[in-house]
Amino acid sequence: MRAADAPEESRAVVLRRSVGTATATATSAGLAFAAIDYLGVVSVATYAGGASAWLAIAIGGALVFLVSGIFSELNGLYPTAAGIRLYLGRAIGNRTALTVTFTYMTTVVLVIAADAFLIGAAVRHVLGEPPALAYLWIFVLLGIATGANLLGIRLAGGVQTVVTYTVLASTVVLSLVAILHVGGAFQQPLDLFGKGGFDGVQAIAFALFLYAAFEWVTTTAEEARRPQVITRALFIAPVLIWIAGSLFALALSHLVSAGAAHGSAYPQLLLGKAALGTVGEIWMLAVTVLTALNTFNGGFLVASRFLYAAARENNLPRPFARLNIRAVPWLAVVTLGALSAIVAAIVFATHQWLLLVAVGATIEAGIYSIAALCVLILRRRETRQRPFALAFGKPLAAFGVVLFAVLAVATGFANPKDAHQLSVLPVAVIAVLAAISAAYVRIVVPRLQAAAKARAAAGRPKRRPTRPVVSGGDIAGEAEAGEAGAGGPLPAMPLTPD
Amino acid sequence: MANWDELAEALADYTVSCNTNERLRKMQRDWSRVLHFECSDSRDRFFMVVDRGEIVRTGEGHEGVPDIVVTTESETFCDMFWGDLNPVQKYLRGEIQVKGSQEDVMRLDAISYVIWPDV
Repeated sequence: MRAADAPEESRAVVLRRSVGTATATATSAGLAFAAIDYLGVVSVATYAGGASAWLAIAIGGALVFLVSGIFSELNGLYPTAAGIRLYLGRAIGNRTALTVTFTYMTTVVLVIAADAFLIGAAVRHVLGEPPALAYLWIFVLLGIATGANLLGIRLAGGVQTVVTYTVLASTVVLSLVAILHVGGAFQQPLDLFGKGGFDGVQAIAFALFLYAAFEWVTTTAEEARRPQVITRALFIAPVLIWIAGSLFALALSHLVSAGAAHGSAYPQLLLGKAALGTVGEIWMLAVTVLTALNTFNGGFLVASRFLYAAARENNLPRPFARLNIRAVPWLAVVTLGALSAIVAAIVFATHQWLLLVAVGATIEAGIYSIAALCVLILRRRETRQRPFALAFGKPLAAFGVVLFAVLAVATGFANPKDAHQLSVLPVAVIAVLAAISAAYVRIVVPRLQAAAKARAAAGRPKRRPTRPVVSGGDIAGEAEAGEAGAGGPLPAMPLTPD
Repeated sequence: MANWDELAEALADYTVSCNTNERLRKMQRDWSRVLHFECSDSRDRFFMVVDRGEIVRTGEGHEGVPDIVVTTESETFCDMFWGDLNPVQKYLRGEIQVKGSQEDVMRLDAISYVIWPDV
């Protein structure tokens, strides 16, 4: 990878409050490392031979560096929270971009739901309550998260940074304690393909899930001190996750039986208990609850603001842009909370928590493949200099398109209940989500856009006074507001779906 | 391309529209920010100081260290301040560039949305 210096320096803007590398890295790692990652490790261990899950996680981390390079290049081209819409729109068309983005955003709901369910189940387990009480915990947790968001309460950047590093450090320390406490040799720590070639590939594909959502840090590009901050975060955060994930995988395979881990929604508690007894169990419960702070804070914020922007763009019904008195898009937040509660309750009732991992892993690998495709296409269409350019860009991006598509298939057909069997369930869930998104974009969005145009035509006349003709016959006051040309360094993109 | 007089006129109208909107003032009561604006075509620069939701000062050039920096064409600024365009649409097309936190970007758009909900 290489970075061109001059353009980045010239684009640096001094803000009173801006994000540096440490905060951006914490944001990236915090978005990725949720409670569901502990289940992700179990999924990896299910397919990896012996105690080799750590190796799958390491290989997954190496592949994620390619993802870091891909998103660094795209973020350099479009350093904005709306970046994903821009590069997808310009590479594959606005309509397809919308469909992909809506599907992608469902992963936010899945992660919020998963964390609510996992924490509810973990708290219930430690308190020794009947299983049905997990429903109560789910609704209480999501109620608190929804209420806090509606009140405009958000974790300050510093708190978020502390929480993330505490979670990662706790996972590392407990895993080390577990490994050292028990001692002994690891069983076949290098036997990644011991259960079969495709099993090993599936293990690596599931390992990618541990890093999922780290790329969302690009949505903070506008508050970064300079563009390199996001690039650094994209490369440092996976290393932190790799260290925590690998050690946890080693410790889990060392101390907890595969059957017990696979059948549990809270393997981290099992590891804590096996290593340090009740103290370890409560320690990991506290860590699990801490992960929710990041998930609920970041997840609600990203997704509700996305819904707000989509409604303002007339791609969602207008009520989703309605703001409460604290300037929070209240319907977007309430909808997210309700959807997450429903998904969490369904997961708890069906015991299909590993399906969430499979669906999330498949969507993420698919998004990585599409992002690599965007790099390929935009290399042709956008010739302007990039602050960060993927070295060997075209061949590596082409490799990424194929590689991540293969990994998406590997997790899309994984059987969450039985590793020895294949299943169409994960890919079927995604197909349904994508079909709903595509149908919505093709049928509903054009109607919303038409209604908006009709409203604008029937609405008030323009307020801006017309001005006299100036040199060149430019009459600014008669310019159509929606038809203005490109501003700044980015070329204009048609708003109407292609 | 709009000149500074047009920008100043638009900015003055925007200031009145913001400061006389009770709901907006209440909504933004915890929002105090320094905003810098830069015209990508005319190179005009101006600023706005918001104190607890009230626009207390605007002017040519830049004042203080900004919380938010908005860059776009001068015509877009004029249309935006007159409430004749939807800033989010321009933002999502990459025609308005903003430096600042996501929350501040949304608050900035919320001003237009509350004053001119039909645009």
